[in-house]
Amino acid sequence: MLDGCRVLDLTTERGFLCGQILGDLGADVIKIEPPNGDPARAIAPFFRGEAAPERSVLWWSFNRNKRGITLNIESGEGRELLLRLAAGADFLIESFNPEFLSRHGIGHADLMRVNPALVQVSITPFGQTGPKAAYEDSDLIIMAAGGVLILYGDEDRPPIRMSVPQAYLHASADAAGAALIAYYERLKSNFGQHVGVAAQESVTLAAQSTPLTALVGGAETRRMAGGAKMGAIRIPLVWAARDGQVSCVMLFGPALGPFTRKLMEYIFAEGGCDAATRDTDWIEYGAKLLSGAEPMSAYERITGQVAAFFRSRTKSELFEAARQHNLLIAPVATIGDVLENPQFIDRAYWREVEHPGLGVKLRYPGPFAKFGATPIAYRRRPPQIGEHNREIYLDEMAIGQARFDELARRGII
Amino acid sequence: MARELPLADVKILDFMWVLAGPGITRAMADYGATVVRIESPNRIDPTRTVGPFKDNNPGIEHSALNSNNNAGKLTISLDLTKPEARDVVFDLVRWADVVCEAFSPKAMRGWGFDYESLRAIKPGLIMLSTCLMGQTGPLARFAGFGNLAAAMCGFYKLVGWPDRSPSGPFSAYTDYIAPRFGLVALMAALIHRRRTGEGQYIDQAQAESALHFLAAPILDSVGSGTNYEPVDNLDPNYAPHGVYPAAGEDRWIALACRGDQEWRGLCSAVGRPELAHDARFADAAARRKNRTAIDAEIASWTRARAPGDAERALQAAGIAAHAVQTAADMSEDPQLMCRNHFLRVPHHTIGETWVENSRYRLSETPAKVTRSGPALGQHNEYVLRDILGYDDARIADLAAREALG
Repeated sequence: MLDGCRVLDLTTERGFLCGQILGDLGADVIKIEPPNGDPARAIAPFFRGEAAPERSVLWWSFNRNKRGITLNIESGEGRELLLRLAAGADFLIESFNPEFLSRHGIGHADLMRVNPALVQVSITPFGQTGPKAAYEDSDLIIMAAGGVLILYGDEDRPPIRMSVPQAYLHASADAAGAALIAYYERLKSNFGQHVGVAAQESVTLAAQSTPLTALVGGAETRRMAGGAKMGAIRIPLVWAARDGQVSCVMLFGPALGPFTRKLMEYIFAEGGCDAATRDTDWIEYGAKLLSGAEPMSAYERITGQVAAFFRSRTKSELFEAARQHNLLIAPVATIGDVLENPQFIDRAYWREVEHPGLGVKLRYPGPFAKFGATPIAYRRRPPQIGEHNREIYLDEMAIGQARFDELARRGII
Repeated sequence: MARELPLADVKILDFMWVLAGPGITRAMADYGATVVRIESPNRIDPTRTVGPFKDNNPGIEHSALNSNNNAGKLTISLDLTKPEARDVVFDLVRWADVVCEAFSPKAMRGWGFDYESLRAIKPGLIMLSTCLMGQTGPLARFAGFGNLAAAMCGFYKLVGWPDRSPSGPFSAYTDYIAPRFGLVALMAALIHRRRTGEGQYIDQAQAESALHFLAAPILDSVGSGTNYEPVDNLDPNYAPHGVYPAAGEDRWIALACRGDQEWRGLCSAVGRPELAHDARFADAAARRKNRTAIDAEIASWTRARAPGDAERALQAAGIAAHAVQTAADMSEDPQLMCRNHFLRVPHHTIGETWVENSRYRLSETPAKVTRSGPALGQHNEYVLRDILGYDDARIADLAAREALG
């Protein structure tokens, strides 16, 4: 879909996923690393625990469908080469701190001078301007600033994050969407523009509109082990099964109450509750709890019965029942379970990718969507450091062998 | 010359509901697309029944969640069990560039709304189906919310304390990932169509999109056999790394120390410069091992400070730190205010409400977010008369046959 588009990818690990998405869509993505390799190649984990830049799991995870070159963009000659590449590119993606590129003469104005049609995408922690634009950051910090962290964890302990970093993946996926909106506009106007993505704002989506609570005068949502407290009501989402956990939604109101009705019919049929409990009006139940017409203790008695029932069944028994009766129950999976899930196997989701020198193929998550006319192809494994230097500098830019050798000797490429 | 909004020429017929689907078209409405939602009073969008509610007063027009996720869209209320209502849908398909839906595969076929049928009446149509597990496979018919896909994708085991059952991510985690990929998919299809004239059908399994956020642990598990268990806030690269108590009830500050130099800065910032020379804390591995001692030192400093004060003092010393923001903090956050993250907009039924702005800024064609999500049936008249050109008699007939729900 983006065949023939060229993307210059200057991102750090904050933005790898953005370029990969564009690469999956068919763009020619050139990942530009510093001459010694991207610093993210030094972040754990490594393949079989051995720390080396060509064994970086993080690098592999988010640099598929890219070619790789090295370039010191902070040097004068590096800048010149970059601007030459930018003149022929459609997108330039970067995730440096604000002001970094302009300090080196590669800011938005400089890029527009060489290519007014370029779509520049900048991913930053907090945005290009504002009182926190220069803040130090990390995954945990962005989640705290974006109103997400406060919703995670157990109420009697400090908030906790998801242990696999997520914040910049949200930002990078947003950046890809925003870049394509700008590119679509360019197809009409013939002009590029500057797309700014702030990770703090990107992660707010994962707070499910709770950041609006104070502004609209709503009841606060708070963290709770395996669920959430929405106002006064404790909503469990994780339930113990006999052999692990399941996730189950048990809610009220005109849209969700009918699901709870079906759940209670199933539990009743299996002998897990009495008829009166089954026949509770689940549509009105939430309103009754809030008005006090139904005491919280009665609700807790019912959730206690449901919990006792779930504990008596295995995850797969509960999941089977969910499929049969259209209930909102699913097993809590480990990564190992995910790899064996027959659904993903049936849809031929996983992609095995060969890596030189490892002796094994690695399994990658497959295409993020199935396109009927233009299916996503995994055309290239993630590049090694400088793997396409010759191809790009010599064959495509024709800078000449002598200059190539000279730039390599001086550590510019 | 001012440039037109990027998607001003894009018309979308939107059958989606709950969170993951409508999030896609909300973003497209921000950038100028005309989005017509089909809703049914017999099949209330669940987000209309989930808070936060305006003035803490539950009601189908009071949900800030629903209004936020549907800001800028038009809506028409149709009872799709009525053939007359389905005829309205076919007319809207002829009008639309894009159809998006989140029904079960069986329901769409039953109504004659499958891609092959719709493409026959609208050549070049782009259609997106989005659901938890995809249109094919043994779980194709397994429907539900993003908490279920998150559980099946392995996200739950990544949030928790080592000594307890997993806590899991907040609410419906894949619903906060899938719309970002859904937007990418639709934009890519629109770009392809603009270049070639060819439309297409897209099958988005929300779980398959969301698994991209677990690419690293998946590669690590397959390649190295690593097990992923809950580790609270520990980080494999940074130490200390965690959440510390601040002054006030349930107030916290998050802190990430990303190297030995930052560690020395942190020691000074919390008034204990001598700790920088303590051999127990020499490098990240040692600091992780002696976490209890470090955490006590940091907490004794943070506990005496308001979260914002601790944040500013630590940031001034070059330490990555931030108050763990509550909803109230968010609405007063100077950075979010500077970016106009929160917008006050008129609402058809409740006067006015607040929505969040687009999460990105396009320098030349910024998002235009001026309306809340629509009230049920709010644009019936507009859609039928102004978009489809129906006359009074036809509109009256639809109402008489109760096709408008």
